[in-house]
Amino acid sequence: MKQSPSTSMGRFVIGRLRDGAVVLILVVLVIFVLAFVVGNPVEYYAPPDATQEDIDRLNRILGFDRPFHIQFVDYFGGLIQGDFGESLFQRRPAIKPIMEALPATILLSLTGIALAGVLGSIGGVLAGVRPGTLFDRVSNFISVALVSVPNFWLGLVLIVIFAVQLRILPTSGFFDNQGIILPTLTLGLVHGGRIFLIVRSVTFEETTKPYVMVAESKGLPFSYVVGRHVLRNAGLTIATTVGWEYVRMMGGTAFAIEFVFAWPGVGNLMIDSAHRQDFPVLQAGVILTGVFVVTANIVVDLGSRVLDRRLQPV
Amino acid sequence: MPRARTLLLALALVLAACQGAETTTTTGGSDTTPATTAADGTTTTTAAPVAEGIIIALATEPSTLDGQLVNDRSSRVVTNNIVEGLLFRDQSGEIVPYLAETYEAIADDRWQFTLRQDVTFHNGEAFNADAVVFSIMRIIADDYETQKTSYIEGLVGAEAVDEYTVDIITDGISPVVPAQMTSIPIVPPEAGADAGYGDNPVGTGPYQFVSWDRGQQITLEAYDGYWGEAPAIQSFSIRFIPDAQTSLAALQAGEIDMVLDLLPEQADLVPVFVSTPGPEFSYIQLNTYKEFLADPLVRQALNYAVDKETLAATIYEGHARPNDAQHLSASMLGYNESVDAFPYDPELAMQMLTDAGYPEGFTMELHVPIGRFLKGNETAEFVAAQLGEVGVIVEIVLTEFSVHREVTRIPGPDPASVDSRYGWNSNEWFDAARYSGFFSCEGGSSKICIDEIDALHEEASSTNDAETRDQLYQQIWAILHENPLSIYLLQQNLLYGLSDRLQWEPRVDDEVLVASMSLTG
Repeated sequence: MKQSPSTSMGRFVIGRLRDGAVVLILVVLVIFVLAFVVGNPVEYYAPPDATQEDIDRLNRILGFDRPFHIQFVDYFGGLIQGDFGESLFQRRPAIKPIMEALPATILLSLTGIALAGVLGSIGGVLAGVRPGTLFDRVSNFISVALVSVPNFWLGLVLIVIFAVQLRILPTSGFFDNQGIILPTLTLGLVHGGRIFLIVRSVTFEETTKPYVMVAESKGLPFSYVVGRHVLRNAGLTIATTVGWEYVRMMGGTAFAIEFVFAWPGVGNLMIDSAHRQDFPVLQAGVILTGVFVVTANIVVDLGSRVLDRRLQPV
Repeated sequence: MPRARTLLLALALVLAACQGAETTTTTGGSDTTPATTAADGTTTTTAAPVAEGIIIALATEPSTLDGQLVNDRSSRVVTNNIVEGLLFRDQSGEIVPYLAETYEAIADDRWQFTLRQDVTFHNGEAFNADAVVFSIMRIIADDYETQKTSYIEGLVGAEAVDEYTVDIITDGISPVVPAQMTSIPIVPPEAGADAGYGDNPVGTGPYQFVSWDRGQQITLEAYDGYWGEAPAIQSFSIRFIPDAQTSLAALQAGEIDMVLDLLPEQADLVPVFVSTPGPEFSYIQLNTYKEFLADPLVRQALNYAVDKETLAATIYEGHARPNDAQHLSASMLGYNESVDAFPYDPELAMQMLTDAGYPEGFTMELHVPIGRFLKGNETAEFVAAQLGEVGVIVEIVLTEFSVHREVTRIPGPDPASVDSRYGWNSNEWFDAARYSGFFSCEGGSSKICIDEIDALHEEASSTNDAETRDQLYQQIWAILHENPLSIYLLQQNLLYGLSDRLQWEPRVDDEVLVASMSLTG
């Protein structure tokens, strides 16, 4: 029985959505359990000389005196209706600070991945087609270094060089357009390094394939072969790699960088909320990030299926 | 990966060289005057110049700007420049008239305040007895859940006598009302009744609220109609920079003028460094209900076994000093100047433990909240090592602050209560009465019960005479020296980093009042 490609694609999407939903439910459960284990936030928010009665009263008001499974079912029920609960610290809906912080995070992640993609893929292709040259060796060395150092440390080094020593860029914050340069540079370098390494090896591998030799022996110039065939074949891997790096960035790096650069984004807010045991905000942040990563995964997979005909059933 | 390591090393060297070139070392300062140094700073163009205002960096963003609701440091840095109390603490910690011109206790349950008549709220509302009554009723309301619980203890209401006279009513004699009135902000009735007050605060202070850019900064500007002396600095922003390294860099780059809560190891890296003793006293509270801690001799021995001088000199790099075996400093009511810190004498400690029947020592749990106090974990390790020297094995229990509070609140006699715990006491009243919760038998945090102390405290609570109260609390600290409630550790310093151009004398109560600052040049 032969299926039409579109039905199969539909099935694939539905399958991935189902898996994604399962992952998200697990994320909600895990973050809720973790918050429960870490300690009762009432103890953190109650005044220093609160009595046991004060604590009990606050527990009652906030519903923390109920058994775990009841609290979870209640929370999950709220989630389905889009209710993430109330921030303990800010005393307003937990989703509000997250939504306020979201645009800054999206902006920074897009400039970061754009720079990483450009640096990594152009550098990777140039190094990969001419392995062993000085450019290849130097850029390879730098990339290995960039993926080896902790990203927040790289951010601090850039701050010291460009803001403290040269004084040409601000250290932190997002008060004018200059504020985005250093965090973007940090993200671009860290993720660009990783993209570079993958693109370089893919390109190199492609140029050693017999068809390249055949094409060259036909008398076609090497640059033409690279532009016409090698890039086309390597392009898919490059696109997928950039996609994956974006997911990886949103899953962690961007948040650490936001913290270092005092960037008013979701990552900074989540780190702050974790410190303050403001679990509703932390949970909302983790769940929304989870939704984003799961969605981005599906889009990347889907994208490679559309681009790569080999992955599509005939 | 050797090549990567070489590069790392090279970058680290560049970093070190950069830092070395920028800074000079701090010259010493005495105990009381702040130690300050200016970098020899060759001035370069600043990336973000500020015209007539300054920028203060804070690690955490306030939750609300309702000064009556919260009492955490980051909120106070903003709100204490906007709102004011009836009374004020001057630079030496003395209580002085402020929004009220005079005050006196006119009955056992009543303090009368006469208000200034030239004060206005930023939004044009009238400052009068009604505003004070509104403010008191607002903060003591049951469903308001203020964090300033110690400031409303004993208050039951307020009554307007005439337009500029108001009575504060207490539950029996309450000698601490003046201290409380330094920190209960007076808010305008109309704006204060609005649910959005916390986002748009209004007060009588030298600065009025301008904007709150969430996640980034809060901006205030000088209030033209201010009743007191007009501030020198026209406007200021409080910027949220969570990473201590980044705020240090921003100060070095000349972007900001002040960093609060500097780390001791950053002292040499800032343009101007200020270190001043604060109202914070660190201790290890001992549960006297535990069999092995019941004998006062044992608790004295533990005090002798810890080298406070070295603790202050090493872990805090000199920015702390051993406290005088009381959670008070000289400017506070009840401070006993004849009580001194226990000297370091491990041999005596061992002798006393033997005399008390513990020649082999014992094992004791020490509960420490993670990341709550500056260098808390290091201090606990230090104390554990020192007590180990005299045979007392300390098992450190590190927990999240909320868990820590839950277990340490269990009353002393309960078998489940903790052996000992590490903490800092902040005396925002400047009054020994603040610690009754620690030393009286029924106190919420108490792990000790000495009838004589309870009697003295009761006597002190039944009079408004400061002299008498001072004497009584001094006696309590003398008893607590013989019969210690804790291992008395340090009086902690407050550390600030300032820009070259900012002139400021830190206050003993740790409040950051921009009206007392000015700029040079």
